[in-house]
Amino acid sequence: MVSARDVGQAAGDDAEGRVAQEIVRIARDELRLDGASAALADGRDAPLADRLDSLARLSLVVAVEDRFRIALDDEGALAVRTLGDLARLVVARAAPELLP
Amino acid sequence: MGFAAEAAVPSTSPHPEVLSVGRALPPNAADQETLIAALSAHWGAAHYNAGRLAELHRATGVARRHLALPLDAYPRLDGFGEANAAYARVGAELGEAAVRDALERAGLAPADVGHLFYVTVTGVATPSLDARLVNRLALPRSVKRTPIFGLGCLAGAAGLARASDALRAFPDEVAVLLSVELCSLTLQRDDTSMANVIATGLFGDGAAAVVLGGGARPAAARRRGPEVVATASVLYPDTEWVMGWEVVDGGFKVLLSSKVPDVIAANLGADVDRFLAAHGLDRGRIRHWVAHTGGPKVLEAVGGALGLPRAALERSWRSLHDIGNLSSASVLFVLGDLLASGEARPGDLGLLAAMGPGFAAELVLLRW
Repeated sequence: MVSARDVGQAAGDDAEGRVAQEIVRIARDELRLDGASAALADGRDAPLADRLDSLARLSLVVAVEDRFRIALDDEGALAVRTLGDLARLVVARAAPELLP
Repeated sequence: MGFAAEAAVPSTSPHPEVLSVGRALPPNAADQETLIAALSAHWGAAHYNAGRLAELHRATGVARRHLALPLDAYPRLDGFGEANAAYARVGAELGEAAVRDALERAGLAPADVGHLFYVTVTGVATPSLDARLVNRLALPRSVKRTPIFGLGCLAGAAGLARASDALRAFPDEVAVLLSVELCSLTLQRDDTSMANVIATGLFGDGAAAVVLGGGARPAAARRRGPEVVATASVLYPDTEWVMGWEVVDGGFKVLLSSKVPDVIAANLGADVDRFLAAHGLDRGRIRHWVAHTGGPKVLEAVGGALGLPRAALERSWRSLHDIGNLSSASVLFVLGDLLASGEARPGDLGLLAAMGPGFAAELVLLRW
């Protein structure tokens, strides 16, 4: 099984990688989303829709908004296709002190 | 799929007839924006972007819903016991009103009722609510009661089918199907999952009753309501996870997968075709489609699976807009709307369909 840490390390130990790790942890450990581990194994640039259904993706976006204290407008949320997209949005919008 | 067995219903046997549909809505009603405002305070404590949840509710296609209790009474409900006590109290009142409405429309009295089928998934009681209604309505002490819990949204259609089955065995008798669903009383305030948020935006409260007469009743006692010609049940293997309740300390916690429309899209068209073919029919012969209202994605999936234009399901869309999804009662409200319209003509065929936990579908072939 691929770990959240692997995803971050595969992408380099950058801010987006650390945020991606945290998002995967939320999906797997807090939301217990089926397909979270598979989405993780696919990597940051694979479509989340391949592994998570629309309700699961919505749950993940809401949980990410809660965790990082950001409000993604509908346009921003719709633009989220991959784990990498979501991590990039978080890094761009969240207060630096809230980033892992 | 077993539809061939359904075809074995002798065509010469007298079919049960739908004599009337009665409906009752609680007097407390609120528009969607009022409900969003009431829920936002709670969401705001749980979610950083409560506006996203409000948008979800605006996207349900529901404009207004009726509630078992006044809106300000819900925060005071403390746990499952109080919510379920409210279910029993309000459910008996609404159930009585729906049955009285249906009997009056059928021109029958409580003393004429031989069978009472009671379907619900939003509260529990023992004795079941149907027993309380025997007392409240002064139904015969000999009435055969069949309470059915757990079929969820499927139960309006399934109850109609089971009541019809009973009348094939007792064709001189009258059966009443009653659905009471008080979905608002199942609200889990601590469940901030998206499934619960969506359910909170869709479901409303209400009761519907259908009076059916056996096919051997005297011609003078028959109405122009549709006959129940045949029924079919389909359970989709290994789909228990698609929809249901998880029973928790606080009551009924909704399980709702976004795969519901996918399961419908993948199965309903072929199942309807097999059912109709077993009776020498095809979709083109069906003039009236009576579909459970579900939600926007469910109705779109039903329309897509059956190749229907939106207008064919307009009554379902309108019911969803006007009163929300009433679980098992919804398809009966839509049937009531069709009967009230006077649109159906002798010889017309209709298909009543509902889907629900199992995951399963129930199909009822109607002929005017």
